[in-house]
Amino acid sequence: MDNPVKIRVENLTFSYHQTPVFEHINLDFNAHAITAITGPSGRGKSTFLSLLNRLWESQPFAKMEGKVWILLDGQWVDIYGKTLSKPDLRRKVGMVFQTPNPLPMSIYKNMAFPLKLTGMTEKALVDAKITAALRQAFLWDEVKDRLHDSAFGLSGGQQQRLCIARALVSQPEILLLDEPTSSLDAGAASVIEDLLVRLKERCTLIVVSHYLDQVSRIADTALKLEARGFLPV
Amino acid sequence: MNIRILGGCLRVFSWGAVLVLTGSVLMLLGYLLVKGVPSLGRDLIFGQVDVLDAVLLKKRVFDGLFPAIAGTLSVVVLSVGLAIPVGVCAGIYMSEFATVFQQRVFGLMFDILAGIPSIVIGLFGFSGAIFIHKYISKDFRPCLAVSVVALAFLVLPYITRTTQAALQGLGDQTRQAALALGATRVQNIFYVLLPRSVSGILSGIILAIGRCAEDTAVIMLTGVVATAGIPGSLLGSYEALPFYIYYISSQYTDAAELMSGYGAAIILLGVCAVLFFLAFLIKRHVAGPAGPARGRFHG
Repeated sequence: MDNPVKIRVENLTFSYHQTPVFEHINLDFNAHAITAITGPSGRGKSTFLSLLNRLWESQPFAKMEGKVWILLDGQWVDIYGKTLSKPDLRRKVGMVFQTPNPLPMSIYKNMAFPLKLTGMTEKALVDAKITAALRQAFLWDEVKDRLHDSAFGLSGGQQQRLCIARALVSQPEILLLDEPTSSLDAGAASVIEDLLVRLKERCTLIVVSHYLDQVSRIADTALKLEARGFLPV
Repeated sequence: MNIRILGGCLRVFSWGAVLVLTGSVLMLLGYLLVKGVPSLGRDLIFGQVDVLDAVLLKKRVFDGLFPAIAGTLSVVVLSVGLAIPVGVCAGIYMSEFATVFQQRVFGLMFDILAGIPSIVIGLFGFSGAIFIHKYISKDFRPCLAVSVVALAFLVLPYITRTTQAALQGLGDQTRQAALALGATRVQNIFYVLLPRSVSGILSGIILAIGRCAEDTAVIMLTGVVATAGIPGSLLGSYEALPFYIYYISSQYTDAAELMSGYGAAIILLGVCAVLFFLAFLIKRHVAGPAGPARGRFHG
Protein backbone atom coordinates (compact mmCIF):
# COMPACT_ATOMS: atom_id res chain seq x y z
CA MET A 1 0.00 0.00 0.00
CA ASP A 2 1.52 3.28 -1.15
CA ASN A 3 -1.00 5.60 0.39
CA PRO A 4 0.35 7.89 3.06
CA VAL A 5 -0.62 7.38 6.66
CA LYS A 6 -3.71 9.31 7.78
CA ILE A 7 -4.22 8.17 11.35
CA ARG A 8 -1.50 7.16 13.79
CA VAL A 9 -2.32 5.48 17.09
CA GLU A 10 0.53 5.61 19.58
CA ASN A 11 0.90 3.46 22.66
CA LEU A 12 -2.82 3.52 23.31
CA THR A 13 -4.19 1.90 26.44
CA PHE A 14 -7.87 1.93 27.28
CA SER A 15 -9.60 0.55 30.32
CA TYR A 16 -13.16 0.34 31.49
CA HIS A 17 -13.96 -0.05 35.18
CA GLN A 18 -10.20 -0.52 35.62
CA THR A 19 -10.25 -3.60 33.35
CA PRO A 20 -7.92 -3.09 30.38
CA VAL A 21 -9.62 -3.35 26.98
CA PHE A 22 -6.56 -2.41 24.88
CA GLU A 23 -2.96 -2.24 25.99
CA HIS A 24 -0.12 -0.35 24.29
CA ILE A 25 -1.58 -0.36 20.81
CA ASN A 26 0.46 1.14 17.96
CA LEU A 27 -1.27 1.30 14.60
CA ASP A 28 -1.23 3.29 11.34
CA PHE A 29 -4.21 3.71 9.04
CA ASN A 30 -3.63 4.60 5.41
CA ALA A 31 -5.34 7.47 3.66
CA HIS A 32 -7.98 6.77 1.02
CA ALA A 33 -8.20 3.11 1.97
CA ILE A 34 -10.72 0.94 3.73
CA THR A 35 -9.36 -0.68 6.85
CA ALA A 36 -11.63 -3.38 8.22
CA ILE A 37 -11.63 -4.35 11.89
CA THR A 38 -12.95 -7.80 12.68
CA GLY A 39 -12.95 -10.00 15.71
CA PRO A 40 -15.22 -11.64 18.25
CA SER A 41 -18.06 -9.74 19.91
CA GLY A 42 -17.30 -7.88 23.11
CA ARG A 43 -13.60 -7.31 22.42
CA GLY A 44 -14.11 -3.59 21.96
CA LYS A 45 -14.28 -3.04 18.20
CA SER A 46 -16.88 -0.32 18.56
CA THR A 47 -15.01 1.13 21.52
CA PHE A 48 -11.90 1.38 19.38
CA LEU A 49 -13.79 3.46 16.79
CA SER A 50 -15.07 5.75 19.53
CA LEU A 51 -11.46 6.44 20.56
CA LEU A 52 -10.88 8.01 17.15
CA ASN A 53 -13.66 10.61 17.52
CA ARG A 54 -13.62 10.86 21.33
CA LEU A 55 -17.18 9.62 21.59
CA TRP A 56 -16.20 7.29 24.45
CA GLU A 57 -15.69 10.26 26.76
CA SER A 58 -19.34 10.41 27.76
CA GLN A 59 -18.97 6.96 29.37
CA PRO A 60 -18.25 7.04 33.08
CA PHE A 61 -15.49 4.78 34.46
CA ALA A 62 -13.54 4.76 31.20
CA LYS A 63 -9.88 5.80 30.99
CA MET A 64 -7.49 6.25 28.09
CA GLU A 65 -3.75 6.78 27.82
CA GLY A 66 -1.64 7.28 24.73
CA LYS A 67 -2.01 9.44 21.65
CA VAL A 68 -4.04 9.50 18.47
CA TRP A 69 -2.75 11.69 15.63
CA ILE A 70 -4.57 12.52 12.43
CA LEU A 71 -3.17 14.28 9.39
CA LEU A 72 -5.21 17.42 8.66
CA ASP A 73 -4.09 19.83 5.94
CA GLY A 74 -0.56 18.41 6.03
CA GLN A 75 -0.23 18.80 9.78
CA TRP A 76 -0.27 16.06 12.38
CA VAL A 77 -2.90 16.96 14.96
CA ASP A 78 -3.24 15.29 18.36
CA ILE A 79 -7.00 14.76 18.60
CA TYR A 80 -6.82 14.79 22.39
CA GLY A 81 -4.83 18.04 22.34
CA LYS A 82 -6.17 21.56 22.66
CA THR A 83 -5.93 22.63 19.02
CA LEU A 84 -9.04 20.74 17.90
CA SER A 85 -12.38 20.98 19.72
CA LYS A 86 -14.53 17.87 19.99
CA PRO A 87 -17.26 19.19 17.66
CA ASP A 88 -14.61 20.17 15.07
CA LEU A 89 -12.95 16.78 15.41
CA ARG A 90 -16.26 14.99 14.87
CA ARG A 91 -16.92 16.99 11.72
CA LYS A 92 -13.55 15.83 10.39
CA VAL A 93 -14.04 12.27 11.65
CA GLY A 94 -17.61 11.24 10.82
CA MET A 95 -19.29 8.18 12.26
CA VAL A 96 -22.04 5.84 11.11
CA PHE A 97 -23.63 3.44 13.57
CA GLN A 98 -24.78 -0.17 13.46
CA THR A 99 -28.49 0.68 13.40
CA PRO A 100 -29.51 3.60 11.19
CA ASN A 101 -30.16 6.55 13.50
CA PRO A 102 -31.94 9.30 11.60
CA LEU A 103 -33.33 12.00 13.88
CA PRO A 104 -37.13 12.23 14.14
CA MET A 105 -37.46 14.89 11.47
CA SER A 106 -37.66 15.14 7.69
CA ILE A 107 -34.95 13.87 5.33
CA TYR A 108 -34.02 17.46 4.51
CA LYS A 109 -33.77 18.48 8.16
CA ASN A 110 -31.67 15.43 8.95
CA MET A 111 -29.27 16.45 6.22
CA ALA A 112 -29.27 20.11 7.28
CA PHE A 113 -28.72 19.22 10.94
CA PRO A 114 -24.89 19.11 10.95
CA LEU A 115 -24.85 22.42 9.05
CA LYS A 116 -27.31 23.98 11.49
CA LEU A 117 -24.95 23.00 14.32
CA THR A 118 -22.25 25.15 12.76
CA GLY A 119 -24.63 28.06 12.29
CA MET A 120 -24.79 27.77 8.51
CA THR A 121 -28.17 29.13 7.44
CA GLU A 122 -27.77 30.43 3.87
CA LYS A 123 -30.37 28.36 2.07
CA ALA A 124 -28.70 28.12 -1.33
CA LEU A 125 -25.44 26.94 0.20
CA VAL A 126 -27.19 24.46 2.51
CA ASP A 127 -29.23 23.08 -0.38
CA ALA A 128 -26.13 22.68 -2.55
CA LYS A 129 -24.27 20.81 0.18
CA ILE A 130 -27.24 18.56 0.90
CA THR A 131 -27.70 17.71 -2.77
CA ALA A 132 -24.01 16.93 -3.19
CA ALA A 133 -23.88 14.68 -0.12
CA LEU A 134 -27.05 12.80 -1.09
CA ARG A 135 -25.59 12.19 -4.56
CA GLN A 136 -22.35 10.92 -3.04
CA ALA A 137 -24.36 8.48 -0.92
CA PHE A 138 -26.31 7.14 -3.94
CA LEU A 139 -29.53 8.42 -2.40
CA TRP A 140 -30.43 11.56 -4.34
CA ASP A 141 -32.56 9.89 -7.02
CA GLU A 142 -34.56 7.99 -4.44
CA VAL A 143 -35.37 10.93 -2.17
CA LYS A 144 -35.23 14.06 -4.32
CA ASP A 145 -39.03 14.20 -4.59
CA ARG A 146 -39.72 13.63 -0.93
CA LEU A 147 -37.06 15.57 0.92
CA HIS A 148 -39.62 16.96 3.33
CA ASP A 149 -41.10 13.59 4.30
CA SER A 150 -40.14 11.96 7.57
CA ALA A 151 -36.83 10.09 7.43
CA PHE A 152 -38.56 7.14 9.12
CA GLY A 153 -40.54 6.56 5.92
CA LEU A 154 -37.36 5.31 4.21
CA SER A 155 -36.36 1.66 4.13
CA GLY A 156 -33.59 0.47 6.43
CA GLY A 157 -30.95 0.56 3.67
CA GLN A 158 -32.05 4.04 2.61
CA GLN A 159 -31.96 5.22 6.21
CA GLN A 160 -28.40 3.95 6.55
CA ARG A 161 -27.38 5.71 3.35
CA LEU A 162 -29.09 8.84 4.69
CA CYS A 163 -26.92 8.54 7.81
CA ILE A 164 -23.82 8.19 5.63
CA ALA A 165 -24.91 11.20 3.56
CA ARG A 166 -25.55 13.17 6.76
CA ALA A 167 -22.02 12.41 7.91
CA LEU A 168 -20.66 13.38 4.45
CA VAL A 169 -22.38 16.76 4.47
CA SER A 170 -19.71 18.08 6.87
CA GLN A 171 -17.04 16.90 4.38
CA PRO A 172 -15.22 14.60 6.80
CA GLU A 173 -11.75 13.33 5.99
CA ILE A 174 -12.22 10.14 7.93
CA LEU A 175 -15.38 8.02 8.16
CA LEU A 176 -15.83 5.45 10.92
CA LEU A 177 -18.49 2.81 10.28
CA ASP A 178 -19.60 0.44 13.00
CA GLU A 179 -21.04 -2.69 11.35
CA PRO A 180 -22.97 -0.50 8.92
CA THR A 181 -24.77 -3.36 7.19
CA SER A 182 -25.55 -5.69 10.06
CA SER A 183 -29.19 -4.59 10.37
CA LEU A 184 -29.80 -4.77 6.60
CA ASP A 185 -30.67 -7.50 4.10
CA ALA A 186 -28.19 -8.67 1.47
CA GLY A 187 -29.44 -6.33 -1.29
CA ALA A 188 -29.27 -3.21 0.83
CA ALA A 189 -25.91 -4.28 2.25
CA SER A 190 -24.38 -4.67 -1.20
CA VAL A 191 -25.43 -1.13 -2.20
CA ILE A 192 -23.69 0.18 0.92
CA GLU A 193 -20.57 -1.88 0.15
CA ASP A 194 -20.35 -0.36 -3.34
CA LEU A 195 -20.85 3.05 -1.83
CA LEU A 196 -18.01 2.58 0.66
CA VAL A 197 -15.60 1.52 -2.06
CA ARG A 198 -16.52 4.65 -4.03
CA LEU A 199 -16.06 6.86 -0.97
CA LYS A 200 -12.37 5.94 -0.75
CA GLU A 201 -11.68 8.78 -3.19
CA ARG A 202 -12.89 11.30 -0.64
CA CYS A 203 -12.23 9.79 2.77
CA THR A 204 -10.23 7.35 4.79
CA LEU A 205 -12.61 4.65 5.97
CA ILE A 206 -12.43 2.36 8.98
CA VAL A 207 -15.16 -0.27 8.99
CA VAL A 208 -15.98 -2.66 11.80
CA SER A 209 -17.45 -5.81 10.32
CA HIS A 210 -18.40 -9.27 11.50
CA TYR A 211 -18.59 -10.67 8.00
CA LEU A 212 -15.33 -12.03 6.62
CA ASP A 213 -16.70 -12.20 3.08
CA GLN A 214 -17.61 -8.54 3.29
CA VAL A 215 -14.13 -7.73 4.56
CA SER A 216 -12.51 -9.57 1.66
CA ARG A 217 -14.78 -7.75 -0.81
CA ILE A 218 -14.19 -4.18 0.33
CA ALA A 219 -11.17 -3.89 2.61
CA ASP A 220 -7.66 -2.87 1.58
CA THR A 221 -6.32 -3.85 4.97
CA ALA A 222 -7.92 -6.02 7.64
CA LEU A 223 -7.12 -6.14 11.32
CA LYS A 224 -8.38 -8.69 13.78
CA LEU A 225 -9.00 -7.62 17.33
CA GLU A 226 -7.70 -10.22 19.73
CA ALA A 227 -7.34 -10.01 23.48
CA ARG A 228 -6.20 -6.39 24.12
CA GLY A 229 -4.52 -5.87 20.75
CA PHE A 230 -4.72 -6.11 16.97
CA LEU A 231 -3.36 -8.74 14.59
CA PRO A 232 -3.17 -8.36 10.82
CA VAL A 233 -5.49 -10.75 8.97
CA MET B 1 -47.33 -28.36 40.13
CA ASN B 2 -46.86 -25.85 42.91
CA ILE B 3 -45.53 -23.34 40.42
CA ARG B 4 -48.62 -23.83 38.26
CA ILE B 5 -50.92 -23.18 41.19
CA LEU B 6 -48.87 -20.15 42.16
CA GLY B 7 -49.00 -18.89 38.57
CA GLY B 8 -52.76 -19.32 38.51
CA CYS B 9 -53.17 -17.49 41.80
CA LEU B 10 -51.00 -14.63 40.58
CA ARG B 11 -53.12 -14.35 37.46
CA VAL B 12 -56.38 -14.27 39.41
CA PHE B 13 -54.92 -11.78 41.85
CA SER B 14 -53.64 -9.52 39.05
CA TRP B 15 -57.04 -9.61 37.38
CA GLY B 16 -58.68 -8.79 40.69
CA ALA B 17 -56.34 -5.86 41.24
CA VAL B 18 -57.11 -4.43 37.80
CA LEU B 19 -60.85 -4.88 38.41
CA VAL B 20 -60.68 -3.17 41.80
CA LEU B 21 -58.76 -0.26 40.30
CA THR B 22 -61.11 0.20 37.34
CA GLY B 23 -64.13 -0.30 39.58
CA SER B 24 -62.92 2.35 42.02
CA VAL B 25 -62.41 4.93 39.31
CA LEU B 26 -65.83 4.23 37.78
CA MET B 27 -67.55 4.25 41.17
CA LEU B 28 -65.90 7.49 42.18
CA LEU B 29 -66.80 9.23 38.94
CA GLY B 30 -70.31 7.75 38.97
CA TYR B 31 -70.95 8.85 42.55
CA LEU B 32 -69.67 12.33 41.83
CA LEU B 33 -71.79 12.64 38.69
CA VAL B 34 -74.97 11.35 40.37
CA LYS B 35 -74.55 13.71 43.32
CA GLY B 36 -73.14 16.69 41.49
CA VAL B 37 -74.79 16.89 38.08
CA PRO B 38 -78.16 18.17 39.37
CA SER B 39 -76.46 21.20 40.87
CA LEU B 40 -74.39 21.93 37.76
CA GLY B 41 -75.57 24.89 35.77
CA ARG B 42 -75.10 28.53 35.06
CA ASP B 43 -76.20 29.50 38.57
CA LEU B 44 -73.58 27.32 40.26
CA ILE B 45 -70.78 29.14 38.46
CA PHE B 46 -72.11 32.65 37.96
CA GLY B 47 -74.89 32.96 40.56
CA GLN B 48 -77.26 35.75 39.61
CA VAL B 49 -74.74 37.68 37.53
CA ASP B 50 -74.88 37.74 33.74
CA VAL B 51 -72.23 35.44 32.22
CA LEU B 52 -70.75 38.11 29.97
CA ASP B 53 -70.62 40.66 32.79
CA ALA B 54 -68.83 38.13 35.01
CA VAL B 55 -66.29 37.03 32.41
CA LEU B 56 -65.52 40.61 31.40
CA LEU B 57 -65.12 41.40 35.12
CA LYS B 58 -67.85 44.07 34.96
CA LYS B 59 -69.75 42.62 37.90
CA ARG B 60 -68.44 40.63 40.81
CA VAL B 61 -69.86 37.13 41.38
CA PHE B 62 -70.73 36.60 45.04
CA ASP B 63 -72.81 33.42 45.01
CA GLY B 64 -71.10 31.34 42.33
CA LEU B 65 -67.90 29.41 41.77
CA PHE B 66 -66.49 31.70 39.09
CA PRO B 67 -63.93 33.40 41.38
CA ALA B 68 -62.85 30.01 42.76
CA ILE B 69 -62.34 28.63 39.23
CA ALA B 70 -60.32 31.71 38.30
CA GLY B 71 -58.32 31.37 41.52
CA THR B 72 -57.56 27.70 40.97
CA LEU B 73 -56.56 28.34 37.36
CA SER B 74 -54.24 31.18 38.38
CA VAL B 75 -52.64 29.20 41.16
CA VAL B 76 -52.08 26.15 38.92
CA VAL B 77 -50.75 28.06 35.92
CA LEU B 78 -48.47 30.30 37.99
CA SER B 79 -47.01 27.62 40.25
CA VAL B 80 -46.50 25.08 37.46
CA GLY B 81 -45.11 27.91 35.33
CA LEU B 82 -42.64 28.69 38.08
CA ALA B 83 -41.77 25.05 38.74
CA ILE B 84 -41.25 24.01 35.09
CA PRO B 85 -38.10 26.01 34.28
CA VAL B 86 -36.48 25.25 37.63
CA GLY B 87 -37.53 21.60 37.65
CA VAL B 88 -36.58 20.89 34.05
CA CYS B 89 -33.19 22.57 34.45
CA ALA B 90 -32.52 20.61 37.64
CA GLY B 91 -33.52 17.42 35.80
CA ILE B 92 -31.14 18.26 32.94
CA TYR B 93 -28.35 18.86 35.42
CA MET B 94 -29.03 15.58 37.21
CA SER B 95 -29.09 13.55 34.03
CA GLU B 96 -26.45 15.25 31.91
CA PHE B 97 -23.92 16.97 34.14
CA ALA B 98 -23.99 15.50 37.64
CA THR B 99 -21.46 12.85 38.65
CA VAL B 100 -22.73 9.57 40.05
CA PHE B 101 -22.02 10.83 43.57
CA GLN B 102 -23.86 14.13 42.97
CA GLN B 103 -26.80 12.22 41.53
CA ARG B 104 -27.03 10.21 44.73
CA VAL B 105 -26.81 13.22 47.05
CA PHE B 106 -29.17 15.50 45.13
CA GLY B 107 -31.50 12.59 44.32
CA LEU B 108 -31.88 11.96 48.03
CA MET B 109 -32.67 15.66 48.55
CA PHE B 110 -35.38 15.61 45.89
CA ASP B 111 -36.87 12.45 47.34
CA ILE B 112 -36.99 14.07 50.78
CA LEU B 113 -38.64 17.16 49.27
CA ALA B 114 -41.17 14.91 47.49
CA GLY B 115 -41.93 13.19 50.79
CA ILE B 116 -42.59 16.34 52.82
CA PRO B 117 -46.33 16.55 53.68
CA SER B 118 -48.03 19.46 51.96
CA ILE B 119 -49.19 20.89 55.29
CA VAL B 120 -45.54 21.31 56.26
CA ILE B 121 -44.80 23.08 52.99
CA GLY B 122 -47.85 25.26 53.70
CA LEU B 123 -46.46 26.05 57.14
CA PHE B 124 -43.12 26.91 55.55
CA GLY B 125 -44.87 29.31 53.16
CA PHE B 126 -46.84 30.81 56.03
CA SER B 127 -43.66 31.34 58.07
CA GLY B 128 -42.03 32.96 55.05
CA ALA B 129 -44.97 35.35 54.74
CA ILE B 130 -44.76 36.20 58.46
CA PHE B 131 -41.03 36.81 58.12
CA ILE B 132 -41.52 39.20 55.21
CA HIS B 133 -44.37 40.91 57.07
CA LYS B 134 -42.21 41.41 60.14
CA TYR B 135 -38.89 42.41 58.63
CA ILE B 136 -39.52 43.72 55.13
CA SER B 137 -42.97 45.12 54.61
CA LYS B 138 -45.82 45.48 57.08
CA ASP B 139 -48.30 45.33 54.17
CA PHE B 140 -47.25 41.84 53.18
CA ARG B 141 -49.52 38.99 54.23
CA PRO B 142 -50.36 35.48 52.98
CA CYS B 143 -51.41 35.91 49.36
CA LEU B 144 -51.46 34.37 45.89
CA ALA B 145 -47.70 34.84 45.47
CA VAL B 146 -46.92 32.90 48.66
CA SER B 147 -49.21 30.04 47.61
CA VAL B 148 -47.65 29.97 44.16
CA VAL B 149 -44.10 29.71 45.51
CA ALA B 150 -45.03 27.10 48.12
CA LEU B 151 -46.92 24.97 45.57
CA ALA B 152 -43.99 25.26 43.18
CA PHE B 153 -41.79 23.75 45.89
CA LEU B 154 -44.35 21.00 46.36
CA VAL B 155 -44.28 19.92 42.71
CA LEU B 156 -40.62 20.61 41.88
CA PRO B 157 -39.47 17.07 42.69
CA TYR B 158 -42.03 15.53 40.31
CA ILE B 159 -40.85 17.65 37.41
CA THR B 160 -37.15 17.19 38.21
CA ARG B 161 -37.40 13.45 38.66
CA THR B 162 -39.48 12.83 35.53
CA THR B 163 -37.19 15.06 33.46
CA GLN B 164 -34.16 13.19 34.76
CA ALA B 165 -35.76 9.80 34.16
CA ALA B 166 -36.91 10.74 30.65
CA LEU B 167 -33.43 11.96 29.68
CA GLN B 168 -31.65 9.00 31.22
CA GLY B 169 -34.08 6.64 29.51
CA LEU B 170 -32.79 7.66 26.07
CA GLY B 171 -30.53 5.03 24.59
CA ASP B 172 -26.92 5.53 23.55
CA GLN B 173 -28.03 5.52 19.91
CA THR B 174 -30.10 8.65 20.46
CA ARG B 175 -27.51 10.28 22.71
CA GLN B 176 -24.64 9.77 20.31
CA ALA B 177 -26.38 10.57 17.01
CA ALA B 178 -25.95 14.34 17.22
CA LEU B 179 -22.66 14.24 19.16
CA ALA B 180 -21.10 12.18 16.38
CA LEU B 181 -22.23 14.85 13.90
CA GLY B 182 -20.34 17.55 15.77
CA ALA B 183 -22.99 18.80 18.20
CA THR B 184 -21.80 20.31 21.46
CA ARG B 185 -23.23 18.93 24.66
CA VAL B 186 -25.67 21.82 24.96
CA GLN B 187 -26.77 21.55 21.31
CA ASN B 188 -27.35 17.85 21.84
CA ILE B 189 -29.53 18.54 24.88
CA PHE B 190 -31.66 21.19 23.16
CA TYR B 191 -31.89 19.77 19.64
CA VAL B 192 -32.17 16.06 20.38
CA LEU B 193 -32.44 14.95 23.99
CA LEU B 194 -35.11 17.36 25.25
CA PRO B 195 -37.41 17.01 22.21
CA ARG B 196 -37.15 13.24 22.54
CA SER B 197 -38.02 13.45 26.26
CA VAL B 198 -40.99 15.76 25.92
CA SER B 199 -43.59 13.11 26.58
CA GLY B 200 -41.82 11.95 29.74
CA ILE B 201 -41.36 15.50 30.98
CA LEU B 202 -44.99 16.23 30.21
CA SER B 203 -46.16 13.34 32.33
CA GLY B 204 -44.33 14.99 35.23
CA ILE B 205 -45.97 18.30 34.41
CA ILE B 206 -49.39 16.66 34.29
CA LEU B 207 -48.73 15.17 37.73
CA ALA B 208 -47.72 18.63 38.92
CA ILE B 209 -50.86 20.23 37.48
CA GLY B 210 -53.05 17.69 39.26
CA ARG B 211 -51.16 18.16 42.50
CA CYS B 212 -51.44 21.97 42.37
CA ALA B 213 -55.11 21.88 41.47
CA GLU B 214 -56.12 19.54 44.28
CA ASP B 215 -53.90 20.75 47.07
CA THR B 216 -55.78 22.31 49.96
CA ALA B 217 -53.31 22.18 52.83
CA VAL B 218 -50.75 24.53 51.29
CA ILE B 219 -53.21 27.16 50.09
CA MET B 220 -55.18 27.13 53.37
CA LEU B 221 -52.10 28.40 55.16
CA THR B 222 -50.81 30.73 52.48
CA GLY B 223 -53.57 32.94 51.22
CA VAL B 224 -56.83 31.30 50.16
CA VAL B 225 -60.02 32.71 51.66
CA ALA B 226 -63.72 31.94 51.31
CA THR B 227 -64.64 35.18 49.53
CA ALA B 228 -62.13 37.28 47.70
CA GLY B 229 -63.50 37.61 44.20
CA ILE B 230 -61.37 37.22 41.08
CA PRO B 231 -57.66 37.31 42.01
CA GLY B 232 -56.60 40.84 41.12
CA SER B 233 -52.96 40.81 42.20
CA LEU B 234 -50.21 38.45 43.25
CA LEU B 235 -50.24 40.17 46.63
CA GLY B 236 -53.96 39.68 47.22
CA SER B 237 -56.07 36.84 48.61
CA TYR B 238 -57.95 34.54 46.28
CA GLU B 239 -60.51 31.74 46.20
CA ALA B 240 -59.92 28.16 45.06
CA LEU B 241 -62.10 25.16 44.21
CA PRO B 242 -60.56 22.59 46.59
CA PHE B 243 -60.84 25.03 49.46
CA TYR B 244 -64.48 25.69 48.56
CA ILE B 245 -65.17 21.94 48.52
CA TYR B 246 -63.44 21.62 51.89
CA TYR B 247 -65.32 24.34 53.70
CA ILE B 248 -68.70 23.52 52.13
CA SER B 249 -68.38 19.90 53.19
CA SER B 250 -67.37 20.86 56.71
CA GLN B 251 -69.79 23.77 57.24
CA TYR B 252 -72.81 23.22 54.99
CA THR B 253 -76.13 24.34 56.38
CA ASP B 254 -78.51 22.54 54.00
CA ALA B 255 -78.57 19.79 51.38
CA ALA B 256 -78.40 22.27 48.50
CA GLU B 257 -75.12 23.68 49.77
CA LEU B 258 -73.64 20.22 50.05
CA MET B 259 -74.77 19.48 46.50
CA SER B 260 -72.97 22.59 45.28
CA GLY B 261 -69.83 21.06 46.85
CA TYR B 262 -70.24 18.02 44.61
CA GLY B 263 -70.81 20.35 41.69
CA ALA B 264 -67.57 22.13 42.56
CA ALA B 265 -65.78 18.76 42.61
CA ILE B 266 -66.99 18.03 39.07
CA ILE B 267 -65.85 21.47 37.95
CA LEU B 268 -62.44 20.88 39.57
CA LEU B 269 -62.13 17.65 37.58
CA GLY B 270 -63.18 19.56 34.46
CA VAL B 271 -60.57 22.27 35.04
CA CYS B 272 -57.90 19.56 35.43
CA ALA B 273 -59.13 17.82 32.28
CA VAL B 274 -58.83 21.06 30.31
CA LEU B 275 -55.29 21.64 31.62
CA PHE B 276 -54.28 18.04 30.83
CA PHE B 277 -55.69 18.42 27.35
CA LEU B 278 -53.68 21.60 26.83
CA ALA B 279 -50.56 19.78 28.02
CA PHE B 280 -51.36 16.98 25.57
CA LEU B 281 -51.71 19.45 22.69
CA ILE B 282 -48.36 21.03 23.57
CA LYS B 283 -46.81 17.56 23.67
CA ARG B 284 -48.11 16.77 20.19
CA HIS B 285 -46.95 20.11 18.86
CA VAL B 286 -43.44 19.89 20.32
CA ALA B 287 -42.87 16.21 19.56
CA GLY B 288 -43.64 16.94 15.90
CA PRO B 289 -45.33 14.80 13.28
CA ALA B 290 -42.49 12.33 12.70
CA GLY B 291 -43.24 8.87 13.99
CA PRO B 292 -41.12 6.91 16.46
CA ALA B 293 -38.11 4.94 15.29
CA ARG B 294 -38.97 1.47 14.08
CA GLY B 295 -37.54 -1.57 15.72
CA ARG B 296 -36.77 -3.61 12.60
CA PHE B 297 -35.33 -2.55 9.31
CA HIS B 298 -35.37 -4.07 5.89
CA GLY B 299 -33.82 -3.04 2.62
